[in-house]
Amino acid sequence: MGPLIPNDIISHEWSYIIAILIGLAFGYILEASGFSSSRKLAGVFYGYDFVVLKVFFTAALVSVIGILYMDYLGYLDFNSLYVHPTFLWGAIIGGAIMGIGFVSGGFCPGTSLCAVAIGKIDAMVFVGGILIGIFIFSELISFFEPIYSGYYFGNVTLVDSLGISPYWFVFIFTIIAIIAFIVVDIIRKRNKKIFYN
Amino acid sequence: MKAEKKQNKHIYWNPYFGGFLLGILIIFTFYMTGRGLGATGAMKSSVVATVDTISHTHAESNSYYSKFINKDESVLNNWLVFETIGILLGAFISGSLAGRIGLRTQHSPKITSRRRLVFALIGGVLFGLGSQIARGCTSGAALSGMAVLSTGGFITMLSIFGTGYLAAYFFRKNWI
Amino acid sequence: MINRKLAKVLSFRYKILAIIFLVLAGGLVVLPKYEKQEGIQPEALLKNAVSSERYITTDELADLIINQDPSFILIDVREEESYKKYSLPNSINIPLDKLLSEDSNSFLNQDQFDVILFSNDHFYADQAWLICNRLDYNHIRVLKGGLNAWFNTIINPEKPSENQSVIASELYSFRKAASMYFGVAYPDEFKAKPVVKIIPKKKVIPKKKKKKMPVEGGC
Repeated sequence: MGPLIPNDIISHEWSYIIAILIGLAFGYILEASGFSSSRKLAGVFYGYDFVVLKVFFTAALVSVIGILYMDYLGYLDFNSLYVHPTFLWGAIIGGAIMGIGFVSGGFCPGTSLCAVAIGKIDAMVFVGGILIGIFIFSELISFFEPIYSGYYFGNVTLVDSLGISPYWFVFIFTIIAIIAFIVVDIIRKRNKKIFYN
Repeated sequence: MKAEKKQNKHIYWNPYFGGFLLGILIIFTFYMTGRGLGATGAMKSSVVATVDTISHTHAESNSYYSKFINKDESVLNNWLVFETIGILLGAFISGSLAGRIGLRTQHSPKITSRRRLVFALIGGVLFGLGSQIARGCTSGAALSGMAVLSTGGFITMLSIFGTGYLAAYFFRKNWI
Repeated sequence: MINRKLAKVLSFRYKILAIIFLVLAGGLVVLPKYEKQEGIQPEALLKNAVSSERYITTDELADLIINQDPSFILIDVREEESYKKYSLPNSINIPLDKLLSEDSNSFLNQDQFDVILFSNDHFYADQAWLICNRLDYNHIRVLKGGLNAWFNTIINPEKPSENQSVIASELYSFRKAASMYFGVAYPDEFKAKPVVKIIPKKKVIPKKKKKKMPVEGGC
């Protein structure tokens, strides 16, 4: 069975239509969850609004549990899914740069696109900045090359690198996430409310 | 609670509900295409396409652009580009249904909108740079990576939010 | 006010959701592990079985050996004794009963070389082929007719009669040349004595992790 398009169950011509539909749903969900507001997004770093963390962790949990169940029931082959490759220092340094960018800009690329769609000027500037950033990276590729393609560990999953059963990992991850949800609610109640529109 | 409703006039979905739907969407995406969602991929494609139209020889000689240039089809003829068009449409639909459409700069009352735009630009440049180094942004690397338990995805996620919290102190005036 | 019971339940909604999550995640841990069918799907196996790629003829093989094509490894699936008596040059001996051992795995399960299996005829080699395909190994082929065919065609080719076509005589001359390469001296025929020493050279084959998906990511 799945994934459907790589296994030719649905023909490749459909893939662009499906892409638009998936994007439509993605944009709708992000916008409706409030991800088009940079002040709401930045709230996660200052403890006045944890919607990012809640949406993010819930989505990760639902998807990973769902995918594992579908794999178990034979609808989806877990091993044939695309696994984001691990470039250790690329992930750490890139993530660190993105973290600063997140606090400074208040968006991440997906959410900035949503904000552009509803007419936020700061988001348009942010997207322009991303384009410039990509341009800078491409022009200085020889400088970034060692980090970009060094420390390659392959398309590994945590199952490979930690040697832990995926099921146990997901179980522990769920507990961590639920504790995180409870803790952030307590933090949010203690912090003074910030109003924005 | 009442005060909050008065002040924050935008009512969003319950975050758990949004997260649940997003999770279902990720499962659906993996079920259909075998890979996750993405957002910077399309921006990368548009940068490559722009550079390619301005100076084809330059794009060919650069080892990074040339990876994405295909003689037979346009760089923009890409799954992620179509997905991004969908994101824009979807967000527009949601925004217009909830009445959130409007040209404006959102910023804390303590800072000017000019300052906000400058920091947005800086943030954008950093995010663009970082997303290329880490080969994915929060949606492509962290969210979709976590769904398949990718080690790189988890590292990127921890790195983004870890650094975010560390750097948050220096940018606090912009937000609170 | 309208429905107090419902309101009471709803006040616990996050706790209920958390419990549902935990139950679902815990379910994954508790669920009995079942052995998934590893390897190839029946349809794909059938496709491989009827594929023309499955067999390689002795002529093709002789051509490969003479041209010192580096892209294949020969694997003899007969017992060790027969292998010691005679085998094809540079072949590696993996008796059928040791097919699944660790050592042979590194030869069979790789993407770099074509693996050509042979035995006396192609009966044992075919069985080895089936097992290898079942394990989803790539590029496994069988020498058609095995060593018997090898003797009959390459080492000791049959002379075509006068009235046969040009192709047949061309084939014969190729085979004759090939047999000379493998050490058969002409004109004294039927002295099929291979001079080429059998050196089971161990090729170092780096193991590659199989990954079907194209390397094309999210962002």
